[in-house]
Amino acid sequence: MIKTKIIIATAFAFGLTACGDLEGGGIGSDKSTDGGIDKKHLSQLQAGIWVDPNGCDHWIIDDGVEGYLSARLDKYGKPVCSGVAPPNHTVGDFKAGSNIPDPN
Amino acid sequence: MVTTFSKVVRAIASLTLVAALALHSTAADAQTKSQEGRDKGVYIPTIWVDPDGCEHWVMDDGAEGYMTPHTTRQGIPVCRRGNVCGVMNSDQFFATNSYRIHKSGKARLAEFFQTTDAVSYIITGHTDSRASDAYNMRLSYNRANAVAAVAVANGASIADVRGYGERQPTAANSSASGMAKNRRVEIICIR
Repeated sequence: MIKTKIIIATAFAFGLTACGDLEGGGIGSDKSTDGGIDKKHLSQLQAGIWVDPNGCDHWIIDDGVEGYLSARLDKYGKPVCSGVAPPNHTVGDFKAGSNIPDPN
Repeated sequence: MVTTFSKVVRAIASLTLVAALALHSTAADAQTKSQEGRDKGVYIPTIWVDPDGCEHWVMDDGAEGYMTPHTTRQGIPVCRRGNVCGVMNSDQFFATNSYRIHKSGKARLAEFFQTTDAVSYIITGHTDSRASDAYNMRLSYNRANAVAAVAVANGASIADVRGYGERQPTAANSSASGMAKNRRVEIICIR
């Protein structure tokens, strides 16, 4: 079962690379769009929260073949450690922006 | 006037630096395999705005994604809106040089924390520029802690408590009204 999913995911990955090639998305210097199956401008990404082992929040996005992670900061530039979940846990539907499954 | 001038000088300096770096990167393309692609190793990002309203640099490289917070050179995040959900005017809650909250102030704060639905709060205290920096750091921290104690007593959870003293003014300290604006406790709501 897991194996099948890996194969599907790999197929999607190659599919995306191929689409990217045709559309030019992600190939030139302009890295602002996802040109794959789930194509979109990157401003449309849907995030959740991942809590790091120290208890601090990060924005996490699973966008199919791409993964994104970026620190959640307050207006003074300090990490936000909200306690929304225990360390290593995630909150929110951070995989909602793409239909490409994970082998997990 | 002096600050405006130094800001202009700083802006010119950083633009020159950016231009110099840009020239450098074209001159030095194909330094490694990573610069041999069609993008020549030049990665132009776009902006993604997080649910707090703050910007991040984001790039999709075909099969990889990259993201990092957009901050100023001083490390301050660039945000389109803030999540400060309450600014307490210190004069209404504390006597001069005191960090004890009046009874009526406590009641107002209790109501605030009971009715505001946030995951947790960051409380930051601030003063005007009178008295020493060290004294103001201590006073603002004590005041922020007093507010946090009321929050906890009312079931709120506190993510952090800080005293910034006179170091983060929102107005010039050259007038009485400016100083009054700077004497404050800010409540950031994390949702």
